[in-house]
Amino acid sequence: MDRHRIARVGLAAGLATCACFAPGLRAHAADPSDVNALQQQLAVTQDELAKTKSELQETKDTLNALKQRVEALAAAAPSAATSSLAPGTTARLAPVNADNPAISFVVDTTARSNTHGDGGEPLEGGNGFALRSGELFISAPIDPFLRGYATINGNTTQGFDIEEAAVVTTALPWNLTVKAGRYFADVGRLSHWHDEALPFVDRPPSIDRLIGGESRAEGVEVSWLAPTEQFIQITGGIYNSIGEQAGTVLNNTFGVGSYSELTYLVHPTTYFDLTDTFNVEVGGTYFAVPKDNDRHLYGVDVTFRHQPGTSGFYQGTTLGIEWMWNNQRFANQTPQFNTTGAPLLTDPALPFDAITNPQVFGSRFNTRQGGYAYFESFFGRRFSAGLRVDYSEAPADNVNTSLLYIAPLSPNADQILTYSMFVTWMPSEFHRLRLQLDQIVARGEPDDQRITLQWTAFLGSHSHGFTTR
Amino acid sequence: MALRPVRATLALLLLSIALPANAAIRVVATFPDLADMTRQIGGERVDVVTIAEGNQDPHKVPVKPSFVTKLNRADAVVVMGLGLEHAFLPPLLEVARNAKIAPGETGYIDASLYVTPLEVPTSQNRTQGELHPLGNPHFNLDPVQGKLMARAIAEGLERVDPDGAQTYQSGLARYTALLDAKIAEWAKLAAPLRGVKAVSYHPDLIYLADRYGIELIGTIETKPGVPATPAHLEELIDEMKQHKTQLVVREVAYELPLAQTVAERTGARVVTISTLTGGLPDTNTYIEFVEANLKALVGALSTAGSP
Repeated sequence: MDRHRIARVGLAAGLATCACFAPGLRAHAADPSDVNALQQQLAVTQDELAKTKSELQETKDTLNALKQRVEALAAAAPSAATSSLAPGTTARLAPVNADNPAISFVVDTTARSNTHGDGGEPLEGGNGFALRSGELFISAPIDPFLRGYATINGNTTQGFDIEEAAVVTTALPWNLTVKAGRYFADVGRLSHWHDEALPFVDRPPSIDRLIGGESRAEGVEVSWLAPTEQFIQITGGIYNSIGEQAGTVLNNTFGVGSYSELTYLVHPTTYFDLTDTFNVEVGGTYFAVPKDNDRHLYGVDVTFRHQPGTSGFYQGTTLGIEWMWNNQRFANQTPQFNTTGAPLLTDPALPFDAITNPQVFGSRFNTRQGGYAYFESFFGRRFSAGLRVDYSEAPADNVNTSLLYIAPLSPNADQILTYSMFVTWMPSEFHRLRLQLDQIVARGEPDDQRITLQWTAFLGSHSHGFTTR
Repeated sequence: MALRPVRATLALLLLSIALPANAAIRVVATFPDLADMTRQIGGERVDVVTIAEGNQDPHKVPVKPSFVTKLNRADAVVVMGLGLEHAFLPPLLEVARNAKIAPGETGYIDASLYVTPLEVPTSQNRTQGELHPLGNPHFNLDPVQGKLMARAIAEGLERVDPDGAQTYQSGLARYTALLDAKIAEWAKLAAPLRGVKAVSYHPDLIYLADRYGIELIGTIETKPGVPATPAHLEELIDEMKQHKTQLVVREVAYELPLAQTVAERTGARVVTISTLTGGLPDTNTYIEFVEANLKALVGALSTAGSP
């Protein structure tokens, strides 16, 4: 093709040269045979040119057709990357293996020092290092109607334990969901948060005393979301018991004998956008054990948030307040006497013996209250800092500043105040360092000072979802 | 008399349950860009509410309960896709009790459907920061990708509301023509950006840079989602000087002082843009948003110092 083109160009140049000198030739030599030869050559060249023109036009047409096709593909059709999407696809979703649940592990470790220097368990306030929580979290949809999750947790003082193992419905009508298994019951605000999700290095002491740590429960919970613009959610639940300490120490209701020994819960929550950036969430909690220890716990929680969502150094503030009142009857608390004023013995016919024939103790109704208030402000993308005040009433005769231990009861409740300040630094979304200072005031007197450094890291995709927002 | 507040509350509740008179379908858009496009395409047939504000960092959008009720009652949710909503949408959808807008269902409209993703990570490893497994999700900064977003939205609306197909198709045609005219105009406006070297705070400029020929040198963030460290900043500043970088692009959701410090150290100029509609003043529509960004970038060039 190229060779032909060169030949044609050469021919054309030759002809042009001939044309230039043609008048001269004609003047000097007007031989008819030469003219004929030149005319024939000209005709051949004209044919060649016409053919070339036609070929050129053909090539142009092909190029235009191709160009149009490419433009049409680019503008209208899905790109190469999307053309592999299945017909009817509505979303580009991350590839997942349906058989593999989301798995994550949290390493939550602390170092602590206190002025008592009592060397108690580090988790309970003593000096030293502790694995506060090693938490394995697994979650996955089970089928179109159900999802499931489990939390397996271990720490310095106890081996691995199934903290939560629950199934939750996802497709019930009338805005209902049902949860069953072992999980943190929907009590108040922070009592159903996992340790690593809390804004402090410890759970507020009032929750530890009144709920018994996390609101761990085994039972069934129904939650309803009102079909209105206003957020209103009501949760009702029936459980064996709520809270670890309450279950093992106070309630003692594992394996209940009747329905009235179960724990019944109701927890309404609502929410208001006060402005575009200020909002408030209000919840109320009531749970009761009608029989057995006749327990009634009332709680109210209010959370104000300022969430400007702007780019300034100041990123927002959370103010959280929670207060609880706990009324409960405890067995074997009040020594009983007979009509003569002598101790009433288990078998009045026999003499007193501390083991075989002890004095009878009657039940006593105890009312305690407690709660906390805290605020936390967020700065830049890395820092937050806050203050917390916690008040709780505890038995007077066995005040334990570890704050985790529910001591034996006495008629007079005592007051314990804990003042805390905390600073958090997050090098990344999955990694956090927190420093907390606590001043404990027991029975009106400064009791203990503690400093705790917490280092928390998240392996894998870790989220407890909407609850810990 | 005492019943009056009760009656008023009941009336308010009933009103809040009632459907808006003219809206055929209720749509929740995660970002203002999507809300604007949905309104442009759907007109009176759609009642659109938005979750995030234009000046927010998509990774830090607050998870408010008021969004739950909106999603609970929605016929469709329009998302940017490619994982941009990963920090706030999954927990909201989990409690919204609305199966028809779950990912993959008819009411889940993914605006990224026809976009060819850039920067798709070849390996998933957190040493590389917070990666989006499906690719960089900031395609909305490029108006040509905007056309593809509009197409995915229109098709999604048609799927949810087949009776309105004609409205959505004509709405898409009208909006696409509008975008085409602006794209031609913007190509001329953005001509000075070709070959300009820039850094951004977060890696969110790739689609815009590809479109208008901006050369990206690096980011102020150490890795995607990981704040800057002093060592990284020193390296970045050296590299910027070496490449004679002219612009430090600060997205409105990120802090200004650090961008200013980097600019001062390198002789570059700070320019604030938004990654979402509404992030800058007077950018209530997607078209205004794109134009404001391009004008800001071009405007910054005229005053940019030489390193």
